Amino acid sequence: MSNDTTRAGRAGAIAARAAPAAAETYKDGSQDSAVTGFALLLPAIALYAAFSLLPILVTIWISFTNSGGFNTQAEFVGFDNYLRATQDPIIWQSLLRTFLWLIYHVVLAGGLGLLMALAISAMSRGRVFFRTALFLPHLVSLAVVGVIWANIYDPFYGLLNTVLQNIGLGGWIRGWLSEPMLVLFSVNVASSWQGFGLYMLLFIAGLQNIDRSLYDAADVDGATAWQKLVHVTLPGLRDVMTFVISLALINGLKGFATVFVMTNGGPFYASEIITTYIYRLAFSAQDHGLAAVLCIMMSILAITITVTFNRWRARGAA
Amino acid sequence: MTKPKGLALALGLLTSVVMAPAAYAQTLTVWGSEQQSDPLVAELWEEIATSFEAKHDGVSVEYMAPTGNISNGAVQAAIQSNAGPDVLLTNSGIGRVTIVAEAGLVLPLSDQYAEYGWDTKLYPWLYEELKTQFDGELYEVPDGIDAIGLWYHKDLFEQNGWSLDGGWADFTATLDSIRGAGMEPIAVGVRGCCNGGHLFGNFLQAAAGSEVMGHVMKGEVQWADPAPLSGAQNLIEAVKAGYISPQMTGLDQDAAIRLWVNKRAALFVGGPWFIGNVRQNGYDVANLGYAPIPSDLPEGSRPTGGVGWSWMVPTSSDQPELAFAWIDHMLSDEIMTLRAEHPTGNQMMSRDLPDIQPAVAVMSEVYAAAAEGVGYNPSVYIPGAALDTYYQVIGGLIGGQVSAGDGMAQIDARMGD
Repeated sequence: MSNDTTRAGRAGAIAARAAPAAAETYKDGSQDSAVTGFALLLPAIALYAAFSLLPILVTIWISFTNSGGFNTQAEFVGFDNYLRATQDPIIWQSLLRTFLWLIYHVVLAGGLGLLMALAISAMSRGRVFFRTALFLPHLVSLAVVGVIWANIYDPFYGLLNTVLQNIGLGGWIRGWLSEPMLVLFSVNVASSWQGFGLYMLLFIAGLQNIDRSLYDAADVDGATAWQKLVHVTLPGLRDVMTFVISLALINGLKGFATVFVMTNGGPFYASEIITTYIYRLAFSAQDHGLAAVLCIMMSILAITITVTFNRWRARGAA
Repeated sequence: MTKPKGLALALGLLTSVVMAPAAYAQTLTVWGSEQQSDPLVAELWEEIATSFEAKHDGVSVEYMAPTGNISNGAVQAAIQSNAGPDVLLTNSGIGRVTIVAEAGLVLPLSDQYAEYGWDTKLYPWLYEELKTQFDGELYEVPDGIDAIGLWYHKDLFEQNGWSLDGGWADFTATLDSIRGAGMEPIAVGVRGCCNGGHLFGNFLQAAAGSEVMGHVMKGEVQWADPAPLSGAQNLIEAVKAGYISPQMTGLDQDAAIRLWVNKRAALFVGGPWFIGNVRQNGYDVANLGYAPIPSDLPEGSRPTGGVGWSWMVPTSSDQPELAFAWIDHMLSDEIMTLRAEHPTGNQMMSRDLPDIQPAVAVMSEVYAAAAEGVGYNPSVYIPGAALDTYYQVIGGLIGGQVSAGDGMAQIDARMGD
C-alpha cells in the first residue's frame, strides 16, 4: 500500500467520524445559524454598502447626467460626458502625467525606502534612532509637506537654491516649481519624502526575515558586498518588493494634496494629474458629470495597473 | 402645600429655569473675513458681533474660520457638508456667484433686497450691475469693492526718481530703471489662484479699457479680439523684457508679498486688502504708495475690480432670518463707518460714504484712483468653467508655454461652457 493510499484512507475515516456531528449541528439549528450569521454580517454589509457600493453606483449614475452639484436637478445625458472626456486634451495630458507621477513615486519613494532600509540594517548602532527619524516625515500631513517644500523650492528665498548658491553650484539653480519640465518631478520629490518611511519599515522587516546562513555561505564563497546584495538580499526581498511596489502604485494614484498645495496643477497644466483635474471639475467648475467619468477612468486605471502588475509578478515567480 | 405638590412645583420651576435659555438662545454662525487671524481685524469683528448681539436678544454670533473661497471649492464643500455657516462673506462677482447659485447652494435674495431696502444701501451703478445678472435675481449683497492697482514703496520711488505717472512708454521706462537698479520690477504670485488674475486684469485694462473689457466679460467680444489680445501680448513682452520673472509662476501670493515687503521687488499688483497683508508682515503702511496701471487710452488709468466680497446665505443656513438681519446690520451706516475708519479699514465700501476719514492714509489714494469708477477684474466676472483655464493661461503666458493668441483662444473656448 502506498503512502498516498494510506493518507487517503485516514482522511476518509476522519471525515466519516466528523460527518454525524456535522449533520447534528446542521439538524439542530441550520436555519437559525444562517439567519444569525447573516444578522451578524448585516452591520458590516450595511456599512460597506453605504460607504463603498452606494457611492460607486451614484458616481456611475452621475457620469450619465449633467449634474452641476448636489442640490441641482440632474438630467440623463447618455454618453455625452464620456464623449466630452475623449475630446478634452487636458484629460489625456493629465493621464500621461499621472503615469509619470506613478513612476516617479515608485522609483523615488520605493527606491529611497530600500536604500535607507539597507543602510539602517547595515548599522551596528543607532538603528532605532535612524528608523524613527526617517519614518517621522510619514506622520506629517501631505498638505503641510506641500507648504514646507514650496518654501524650500522658493526661487528667491528657498533653502535649495540658497544652498546651491552658497556651495558654488549656482549653475544648478532652477525654478523648481516654475519650469514645466521640472515641476512634476519637484512636487513628487516632496510627496516621496513624505511616503518613503513606510516603505523603509517594510523593507527593514523583509531584511530581518532573510536567512543569515545565506550571508555566511556567501562569505565562505568569498562574495563581495555587491554580490551579496544582488544574489542574496534582493532575491530575499522579492515578496516585500512586490507588496511595496503595489502599495506605491496605489499611493501614487492617490497623489493629490502635494500637487494641489504646491502648484495647483500649474504652470499651464504642467503638473496637472488626474486627481487634481477631478477636483477642479467637481468643485470649481461644478461639472460633476465629467468629474464622475474621470473617477471611473481612474478606478479602471487603478484596477488595471494593480492586476497587471500582480499577474506579471506571479508569472515571474512561477 | 402637600409634599408631592411642593416637589412638583419645585421641579416645574427648575425645568423652566433650565429650559428657558435653551429655548431662546440662538447662535448665528458667520463665515467671516479671511483676515480675522490678524488680531486688529479680529478686534473689529468682535465689536461688530457685540453690536449685533446687543440688538438681538438671546443671539450670539460665532465666527467660523474661512478655509478658502468659491474658486478653490472650499465654500461649496462647507455648504454641502451641512456643517457650514448661516451666512458667509467670500470673494464674489458673477463668475463665482454663478457657481454656487446654479448649484442651488445659496438663497435668492431679491425679496430681502425689497424688504430691507438694500438697493438704496449700495452704489446705484453697483445695484444696476447686479440686476443684469441671473435674469434680475440677486444672490449676493456686496460688502466691498475691489480697486486693484500698483503698490509701490514711497521711499524707494522718491530716492530713485521713479514715477507711475504718464503713459505705457513711461511705465516701461520706469520698469527698465527698476530692473537696472537690480530689483524685481513686479512681484506676482501666479501659483494658486487670483494674484496672476490681478496682474493680467490690469494689463488688459491698460490695453483694452473698461468698455471693451466689459463686453469681453459679457461674452459680447472675444478674448482673442485685437484689444484684449494686445494686453496678453504686452504681458509676454513684459516677461521678455525682464519686468516679470518667469520664476513668479512658482510663487504664490504670500511669497510674492514677501518679496515685495523685503524690497526685493518694486511693485505688487493688488487691491486695498494688500494693506492688511503688508501690515501683518511688519511693513510700515505709511510707506505704501498706490497708483492705477498707466494706460495710453483716452479714459486714462483706472484700477480694476468690481464686486470684491459679498454676503451670501447658504441654503443650508439654520438661521436665514437672522442671516438677513446680519447682512442688514453690515450695511448700516454705523458698521460701514466703523469699518472704513478703523485702522484695519482696507477695502472700499459698497456705497458712497462721503464723510469718512480713513485711518490708513493710502486709502485716500485708492478712493481717488477709483473716483471715476473701476474697470473689470476678470477673475470676478468670468464663468466658473472658464476661471481655471484663465488662471492656467496666465501661468502659461508668463512661463512662456503658450502664445497670446492660443491662450486667449483657450479662454474663449471655455467661456460658453
